[in-house]
Amino acid sequence: MSKRPDLFTSYQKEISIFPNNTQKFWFVTLLLSSIYICFIASDYWIILITNALLVSIAAWGLNIVSGLAGQINLAHGVFVGIGTYTSAVLGGVATRSVIGFEMDLLIWLPLSGIVAALIGVLISPIAVRLKGLNLGLVTLAFVFIGSHFFSNLTFITGGSGLGRKSAKLNILGIDFNSGYEIGNFLIQKNQILYLISLLVTVLLGLGVKNLVRSKTGRAFAAIRDRDIAAEALGINLFKYKATALAISCFYGGVAGALLTTTFGGVEPGTFNLLYSILFIAIVIIGGAGTVLGPLFGAFFYVLFPAIIQYVVLSSNLSEQDLLITPQQIERIIFGLFIILFLIFEPRGLWGIWFRLRNYFKAWPFSY
Amino acid sequence: MNIFLQATFEGLSLGAVYSLVAIGFVLIFRATDVLSFAQPAMVVVGAGIISYFSTQIGIPFIVAFFLGIILTGVLGLILERTFLRPMVGEPVFSVAVLTIGIDILLRVVLDNWIGINPKYMGDPFPSYGNFGSVNIAGLTVKYLEVTALITALMLIFVLSVFFKKSKYGVAMRATSLDQEAALAQGINVGRVFGLVWFIAGLLAAFAGFFITGGFNTLTNTSFISALRALPAVVIGGLDSITGAVVGSLIIGLTQAYVGYYQFDIESAYNIKLGNGFSIVAPYVIMFVILIVKPDGLFGTEEVERV
Repeated sequence: MSKRPDLFTSYQKEISIFPNNTQKFWFVTLLLSSIYICFIASDYWIILITNALLVSIAAWGLNIVSGLAGQINLAHGVFVGIGTYTSAVLGGVATRSVIGFEMDLLIWLPLSGIVAALIGVLISPIAVRLKGLNLGLVTLAFVFIGSHFFSNLTFITGGSGLGRKSAKLNILGIDFNSGYEIGNFLIQKNQILYLISLLVTVLLGLGVKNLVRSKTGRAFAAIRDRDIAAEALGINLFKYKATALAISCFYGGVAGALLTTTFGGVEPGTFNLLYSILFIAIVIIGGAGTVLGPLFGAFFYVLFPAIIQYVVLSSNLSEQDLLITPQQIERIIFGLFIILFLIFEPRGLWGIWFRLRNYFKAWPFSY
Repeated sequence: MNIFLQATFEGLSLGAVYSLVAIGFVLIFRATDVLSFAQPAMVVVGAGIISYFSTQIGIPFIVAFFLGIILTGVLGLILERTFLRPMVGEPVFSVAVLTIGIDILLRVVLDNWIGINPKYMGDPFPSYGNFGSVNIAGLTVKYLEVTALITALMLIFVLSVFFKKSKYGVAMRATSLDQEAALAQGINVGRVFGLVWFIAGLLAAFAGFFITGGFNTLTNTSFISALRALPAVVIGGLDSITGAVVGSLIIGLTQAYVGYYQFDIESAYNIKLGNGFSIVAPYVIMFVILIVKPDGLFGTEEVERV
């Protein structure tokens, strides 16, 4: 049996999270090496990888509603913003201009997801009524209405151009804001955030995998493929579309809460149209509707600019020598990748990975 | 009353400009089933080309104007041929996202060129009358706005004649009804696709000039004005040209009224709508209309079968 990894003798085995030992082995190896990286890598890389992990959580959220359930959502960035501000209000410090309650991470992290999900549920009646492009356009309206609220609710967000500080890092009453000392060993704040993000990413990633193989996940796929047919088969469209939106917003909210904590502060102008489009691009570059895709997409998105900057810095070119700034190169390449992936590899990076894996599985045969 | 008339006039003029962009959206959507998010970028690119030729190269404004319009049309043609032709038959959502990619590309290049300083169009309008405006019975009427209104109405008239009478206009209508049937009748569907993008580019450049002309100037945020044609299209219905025009007028008027009356409303009802509410108001209206009529005011209801 162990020689035939693709042979499944029961349905339970086929839909299990890790169908064979190889996958279990790689999962554990990857997890252990990720924890190990935390203690050897420089601050720059730790922050970068933390960022990638958190962006992939948000991208998973969008992937659930758009990739799995097939409902276009151009306003994912707004839900990330809602999570961000919930965390900032609950966990942040009150100043003269903004409110804050300095709560524990164990309170504000789940709550920021839940608040975002609640707002998702609140608007779901509108979203459920529409489909296809019209839905996409209504969510576009959310982006503008959302950023209007963000820039005008100054007691929460600090107002446009000013912003506010993000949540404090207190866990179980212990203050981690300036690192934590265990004996002689000092764990930096960045490292703690990295470990928390890793934990949350693993949990939520397994959550996505679990969702895909459950009844709910199959209902989502049915709605994506043909919603009328799904309804005829007895799937409650309203319930499942609202569920998809709520789960998606939860992921977005959690990601937003941790993302801004990594940066230390947030300005309401962040959550503009481009920010929402970014997540769509990540999902498409990674591979829509797949579990690993958003993870690939997020790492690509976060690490690629770092590589560009590295190349620019190491090539001894000053900023004046270049016609365009590194940020603009990033955006051009980003726009180009959206187009090229859609035309040539609609399954995204995951599709490339899939073909690569199958090639080596059958190696040296090409079939 | 004067304020009301002033707001109405400005709203109509704005609406007429938006309707040019909106008609471009609708044309592309009807003929090719693509919702082009790149249209706002085309608008600012058109304005950018006109500004480049008239202020940096220094050729007469009127030549630069028509050159810019033609070049933007050609850009539309090129975009369709390179990026959108391979995507024919793909899911609507994928193609829509692809146009977002095009939008990012165009805007990065343009933003880089615009830089920090606003760009003038080099048009003669600000020099007419009292800084480009004239006082008629207590109303401040800008020459640019009058020209915009007249040009837009003329273009809409020309387009409607084109669709009814000309060979290619009829071919476009046939293509928008059924692409395969049109192909079977001997219509060159590929050429129609190209033509549609060309016309949409022309209209975008027209709108681009009127949005950024005079003292409005072209900046990095000009595309947000162009993006407002999107709620206009949605209000009217994605596949109706009449709807696009009506929707644009609604959006233009809303924006003008909110701009003029926001303070009065706020003090009368003691509510705070916030800064820049006139920018958000069109989206709020679109939101409300879509809840009541999911296909827009004039859009055809979608009939779906399993």
